[in-house]
Amino acid sequence: MGYQFDFSAVIGNWKLLLIGLQNSIILGATCLVLGLSLGLIVGGMRYMRAPIVNWPATAFVEVFRNTPVLVQIMWFFFAFPIISPVEINAFTAASLGLTLNTAAFSAEIFRAGIRSVEKGQWEAGKAIGMTYIQQLRRIVLPQAIRRMLPAFMNRAVELMKMTSLASVIAYGELMHKAKQISTLEFNPIEMYTVVALIFFALIFPLALFVQRFELKLKDSG
Amino acid sequence: MTEILRLRNLHKSFGPLEVLKGIDLAVAQGEVIVLIGASGSGKSTLLRCINFMEIPTSGRVFLHGTPVGRQTSSGVSYVERELTQIRARIGMVFQHFNLFPHMTALQNVMEGPRTVLKCSPDECRNRADNQLRKVGLEWKADAYPSQLSGGQQQRVAIARALAMEPEIMLFDEVTSALDPELVGEVLITMKELADEGMTMLIVTHELGFAYSVADRVLFLADGNVLEQGSPPEVLTYPKEEATKNFLRGHSSFRLPEPQLD
Ligand SMILES: Nc1ncnc2c1ncn2[C@@H]1O[C@H](COP(=O)(O)OP(=O)(O)O)[C@@H](O)[C@H]1O
Ligand SMILES: [Mg+2]
Repeated sequence: MGYQFDFSAVIGNWKLLLIGLQNSIILGATCLVLGLSLGLIVGGMRYMRAPIVNWPATAFVEVFRNTPVLVQIMWFFFAFPIISPVEINAFTAASLGLTLNTAAFSAEIFRAGIRSVEKGQWEAGKAIGMTYIQQLRRIVLPQAIRRMLPAFMNRAVELMKMTSLASVIAYGELMHKAKQISTLEFNPIEMYTVVALIFFALIFPLALFVQRFELKLKDSG
Repeated sequence: MTEILRLRNLHKSFGPLEVLKGIDLAVAQGEVIVLIGASGSGKSTLLRCINFMEIPTSGRVFLHGTPVGRQTSSGVSYVERELTQIRARIGMVFQHFNLFPHMTALQNVMEGPRTVLKCSPDECRNRADNQLRKVGLEWKADAYPSQLSGGQQQRVAIARALAMEPEIMLFDEVTSALDPELVGEVLITMKELADEGMTMLIVTHELGFAYSVADRVLFLADGNVLEQGSPPEVLTYPKEEATKNFLRGHSSFRLPEPQLD
């Protein structure tokens, strides 16, 4: 083989990579906040029995959970603009795909979390005279959210990885910058190795933290 | 004798299944009533209709002579707000305790006064301290439910209900889930409560306990009160064949009085 590694072009382009990393984090954070909020709403809708509320929420969740994210992002970038009255740039398209995908998964986490609280807990609250909202706020949600946290943190990890898919529609995140640099400098081995390392450095601590947290939850019962 | 609770022709169905078939019952202030009956005879459903955990299908509940709900042409209609207030005035203790696992014993007991009654922090704390002391668990105030024995959890659950200063207490098989050696402490707590004059409706299979605390025993069968009277009348000299059969099943094996001194 005798390949001579040469990282000088990678280091020389560090400013570009930093901008890419920044964009990746902006995209991930935006989609996490929006996705969780929308997920709470959709999860609540799935929890209700009225078909007019439940059915659209269920359809939404199933569509976004059962199609590839890459397809969702491409669809929002290439197909959606044709039927949409407003302009869709790469960031908007990527955000739409990733946010809706995160919302669909977190809706299920919310729903499962609330369902995991035993019926007796609602009843005990009701029996001392609590309203439905008080039962939810004081008794059920505090227990449910503790159980949901590891799943949400895993979502955040997954989302961070999925941001790299936005490179296919030329959103200037880390992966896209790397592609540009490696085409100009003919250094795919060095470039993509470094990108992998950057992602690893970013995500591994987060994943470790989730594992620790899950263990701690298990210990405290 | 002041009447505190009256049920008039109370019916409850779940779909096609009629569980309560017209219960009439008047309960005096301070009276202790024990409900017995086979599994599935509707004992839990009766208790749960009294504090509106279940809405009766028809019939009426009166508290201090005041009917709950509004009579309309198509039956009795209930407003959730009124039911919430009724539930706050009637304490209920469950078979499986249902303590809030994310709160300490003290926080469990303070929760009702705090969230429902909107008491001041001092008042909440006072009530909780008093009730925990009463059930003998002030020394476990900072323990979480998972750190308590079943008997202790059930006593905290009783304290939680008492902190609301209820007018009536309902107990639904509160010792059925306990290991035998933990049953006594819970029954003693209930006996003390009865001696203080609390109005109580108790579903239990502890017939010895029923005999010694009840003012009146009701035998429920198939959604009706088949037989009622003083503990000796129902438990020692039952008249109905169904009551006799039930008691036979509960006293097949008996211990002669243990000599413990
Ligand atoms: N929420 C419910 N939905 C449907 N059926 C119920 C419900 N609660 C109780 N039942 C039925 O009503 C009957 C009486 O139940 P219950 O009051 O719990 O009896 P007990 O406490 O005397 O054992 C049983 O047949 C039970 O299956
Ligand atoms: Mg029962």
